[in-house]
Amino acid sequence: MKVLMPYIKRYRKDAYIAIVSVIALVFATLWQPRLLQVIMNAILKGDKNVIFQQGIILIILAVIGIIAGVVNTIYSAHVALGVATDLRADLYSKVQTFAYADVEKFSASNLVVRMTNDINQVQQIVMAGFQQISRIPLLFIGAFILAMVTMPQQWWVLIAMMAIVLGVSWYSYKKMSNYFAKTQQYIEDVNTVARENLMGIRVVKSFVQEPHEISKFSKASDRLTKVTAKIGYNFAILMPAFFLTANIAVVIAIYIVGQNVTVHPTYLAAITSFISYLMQILFAVINGGFLMIMASRANISLGRIDEVMETDPSMTYVKGDSKPVAGDIEFDHVTFTYPGDDSPTLEDVSFTVKAGEMIGIVGATGSGKTTLAQLIARLYDPDEGVIKVGGTDVKQLSEESLRETVAYVLQRSTLFSGTISANLRQVKSDATTSQMQWAANIAQASEFIERLPLTYDAPVEERSSNFSGGQKQRLSITRGIIAKPKILILDDATSALDAQSEKLVQEALDKDLTETTTVVIAEKISSILRADRILVLDNGRIVGNGNHKELVDSNSVYQKIYLTQKAREEGMS
Amino acid sequence: MSDLKNASKYYWHYFKRYWFGFAMTAILIGISTACIVIAPTYLGRAVSELTTYLQHWSNVATRSSANLGTFHKTLLVYLGLYLGDAGTLFIASMILARITAYSTGTMRVGLFRKMQRMQVQYFDSHSDGDILARYTSDLDNIFNALNQALIEIFLSVAQFIGLLIVMFNQNTTMAWVTMASTPVALIIAAVVMKKAGVAVNHQQDDIGRLNGYINEQVTAQKVIITNGLQKDSVKGFLKHNQKVRESAMSGQIWSGVLNPLMQGMSLLNTAIVIFFGSWFALNGTLSTGAALALVVVFVNYAQQYYQPIMSLTSLYGMIQLAITGARRVDEVRNQPDEVEPADSKKLSGIKNELQIDDVHFSYLPGKEILHGVSISVHKGEMVALVGPTGSGKTTVMNLLNRFYDVDSGSITIDGMDIRDFSLKDLRENVGIVLQDPQLFSGTIADNIRFGDPKANMEQVIDSAKQANIHDFITSLPNGYETFVSDEQSVFSAGQKQLMSIARTILTNPQLLILDEATSNVDTVTEANIQAAMDRVIQGRTSFVIAHRLKTILNADKIVVLKDGSIIEQGNHEALLAEDGFYAGLYRNQMVTD
Repeated sequence: MKVLMPYIKRYRKDAYIAIVSVIALVFATLWQPRLLQVIMNAILKGDKNVIFQQGIILIILAVIGIIAGVVNTIYSAHVALGVATDLRADLYSKVQTFAYADVEKFSASNLVVRMTNDINQVQQIVMAGFQQISRIPLLFIGAFILAMVTMPQQWWVLIAMMAIVLGVSWYSYKKMSNYFAKTQQYIEDVNTVARENLMGIRVVKSFVQEPHEISKFSKASDRLTKVTAKIGYNFAILMPAFFLTANIAVVIAIYIVGQNVTVHPTYLAAITSFISYLMQILFAVINGGFLMIMASRANISLGRIDEVMETDPSMTYVKGDSKPVAGDIEFDHVTFTYPGDDSPTLEDVSFTVKAGEMIGIVGATGSGKTTLAQLIARLYDPDEGVIKVGGTDVKQLSEESLRETVAYVLQRSTLFSGTISANLRQVKSDATTSQMQWAANIAQASEFIERLPLTYDAPVEERSSNFSGGQKQRLSITRGIIAKPKILILDDATSALDAQSEKLVQEALDKDLTETTTVVIAEKISSILRADRILVLDNGRIVGNGNHKELVDSNSVYQKIYLTQKAREEGMS
Repeated sequence: MSDLKNASKYYWHYFKRYWFGFAMTAILIGISTACIVIAPTYLGRAVSELTTYLQHWSNVATRSSANLGTFHKTLLVYLGLYLGDAGTLFIASMILARITAYSTGTMRVGLFRKMQRMQVQYFDSHSDGDILARYTSDLDNIFNALNQALIEIFLSVAQFIGLLIVMFNQNTTMAWVTMASTPVALIIAAVVMKKAGVAVNHQQDDIGRLNGYINEQVTAQKVIITNGLQKDSVKGFLKHNQKVRESAMSGQIWSGVLNPLMQGMSLLNTAIVIFFGSWFALNGTLSTGAALALVVVFVNYAQQYYQPIMSLTSLYGMIQLAITGARRVDEVRNQPDEVEPADSKKLSGIKNELQIDDVHFSYLPGKEILHGVSISVHKGEMVALVGPTGSGKTTVMNLLNRFYDVDSGSITIDGMDIRDFSLKDLRENVGIVLQDPQLFSGTIADNIRFGDPKANMEQVIDSAKQANIHDFITSLPNGYETFVSDEQSVFSAGQKQLMSIARTILTNPQLLILDEATSNVDTVTEANIQAAMDRVIQGRTSFVIAHRLKTILNADKIVVLKDGSIIEQGNHEALLAEDGFYAGLYRNQMVTD
């Protein structure tokens, strides 16, 4: 709730109107039985004037009720959507201040859920809050007071009814919360089997395990069926029990009126209104219960939103002008452990790279290649040691300077939906067509871009699904170099390119970006043959540093990798 | 409209077995409704009897004859009616709860069964998320709708009919007065619901776009951070966010206003009934007691009259979802099954050879992928398929196991078309190791014996040993009982692939297909897997599809596919000597000093 209040306050005026209209609505609803009582007395007395007068008031009251209901809905929606929109905007902006480690801590898909589903839950509860929740206590208290005024000596009937209804609800809620937890578990089980079978349908079919999987699924499904049936049985008793309780209360009330009718003859005319109030109280209690369930769900969502809002970015940048620095890189005794891991991914790594050099990094999967590259781009900060770019500790560089200096091209190249030029201009906002052509030429992308009907204005679909893997990678490289970075990191960024295109890319980089330091991470040794130096990583440590020839001669880890990729001697000439 | 028809057919299919339960429910609800609508007349009678009693008592002459006996009896009947209502309603709710839970269960299992029979093509042409949503969201919507709507529909319809009958029985004029505002209410409801439908559609479209944007941006947060695009990203977001605000505003208002409007109409209707009722009571020929009773009864009816209409309108959205859900689940149910031969021949291993003969194949009509491919393999031979992405290598694998059937040409084992064997027979003889080693939740042992759940531990261990993974498994604290879940696996891609190889070894297949089994691992791990695969291939007929040529240098025959046609064929040395496409490919991949 603490998260919500400041947002609701921004829509104070709408909130007041919503509440005033709800009060008007409650007033109209509760006053009607009062007027009925007056009219009933008038019938007893045969007073037509009173009936006519009160009848007009009744109709006016009903019209007020309708108008109040509509006004309330409109202004509740203003508040609910205002709050949801603002909250979502703040949440999104907050996430954009996060360091990558923070995004990973929550996981991207989890953050998406918080910004979509959780916000939606909050919007629903705010809407319901101004439409319903404020009405329920008002209705409840109002109906209770009016019922007491109508028949003061029957207070205990009301109390007894409420006690029974609340008792039954509490009992069944306690019993059912256990079932609800089980349901959640069983739903997950069912979904797991379904999902695994979807993804592994070829495995299931090729092993002819369909009957076995069906029986596995049936078992999981039957458990779910049984528990949902049990919940259903429990719910089945609730409504009839509530109404029976209320009607027993009605019978008791009328019986008492009958016994005392000679003493309090006016109560005769009050029976109907008393019953109305009784039913209002019952509905208020029942709806209150439903809203409590809804509110507790929204509360969970609010907690999840709050958790994001309260997270401080784990990495901050110094403020400063944006000026690219030189392309030298230095690692000085760097050790890095991923949050939650036991052992370090990089251990005591030291090396230097001079501006303009091309460096290759090789090693088995999990040896720390990508981690090393990510530290240069400051996606993470090292636990120990210092990383310098252009002679300055990366922690002392402003975010803008660092981004202008270092371009990082990922293996899983992601382009954003839009157009090719929009993607390129995200990095260099004033890029001209000839600059785009220049970059695309280097990345060997121009041949296919120029064949597209709209060339650089060609659309990029979601997940760049209208481009092949190799095309995506070439577009990513284009984006990486368009701003002529001082340092270019290619993280397995040419894996989908054939050897010929890969060679052309590297040659063009050599020729046109002479001042740029290039760091190439690769699985294929052929990708880094041209490097000035190759760093060999093994279990987070640098075990080799030299050119291909030196390493083939002297480095056992490198030799092992090399042997698996080496051509057979015979037949090659 | 056709949606509604299909949905009815769908639900009829699952509901017809519960006809007795539904009939019982209908009867019970009928009784319950009768109790509810008759009860107010006893309330009215009680009030009227009390009035008479009071009048008798007030008059000194009749005071001695005044007694409350009939009043008490009336109250007892009133109470009895509500007891009857509660009892019948309770039993009916129990029956419907059972039907709801069990019919949804049947639907769920039915969907899964169907999934196991369907052609692979469906899974290849639909996203996993979309199919899974039929379990998670569509069946869920169906369950929720059945759970809440079923009883409400029964109750509302019965209550409405019962109310009409009893109202006209009581007093025709007052019944018409009570009903007078109905057309206005129905018109309002229809207009609002239509507006809400349009507005909510707009809202959902905009929300979909916003969610798409958030999803695209946040899953690519690495790119955003490394390129410093945060400000741009927020700017783009705000545009979508504002749009959602505007369209959701009208969606929320139109869908939210129906309930207060109907409640207001109910209030107005009650006011009209009170007004006319009392005027009618005073100007009529009724006694005061009867007039009072009439007003009491009809006020009660007026308050109940709008209940069914309100319930049904509030269920509208839910019913809509259930109809959509039924359509989407039904869509899957109507997919074709895999084709089994009418009378199948027995397949017991390959005796001489497997022949792929002039096979043409297309996934989509008119877009042929394989153009007359012929390969012959002798028992015990290893054939490698190589070629660039999209050349049709994996397609050949898909045909061998009959995940797809050829358009023309044939695949034969010892001269018999594979379409003449039962799918079970064929697939039990063909083992596949896929690029993505899909494991299932369960223990490692369960996963290795996946193809033969009855296999004993000895067989499991033996297979693991052959696959070079036994030592790793025993090094785990729980050994073979270690739990595997594909979601958050502690195993590397290479380890999973070795387990999947062990899984295939255990079933001892005659024909083995290895589909790029090592493409997701680094070259050193690949060498490990390669060693395991060499052992598996030993003595079996095998097809190996390879991205990296290093793995297939020893093949008896290498078939080079390009754009769906075979362009070269022969062993490694022969193909290198030819100095054609294969030789180029080889030089590209390998490091040659």
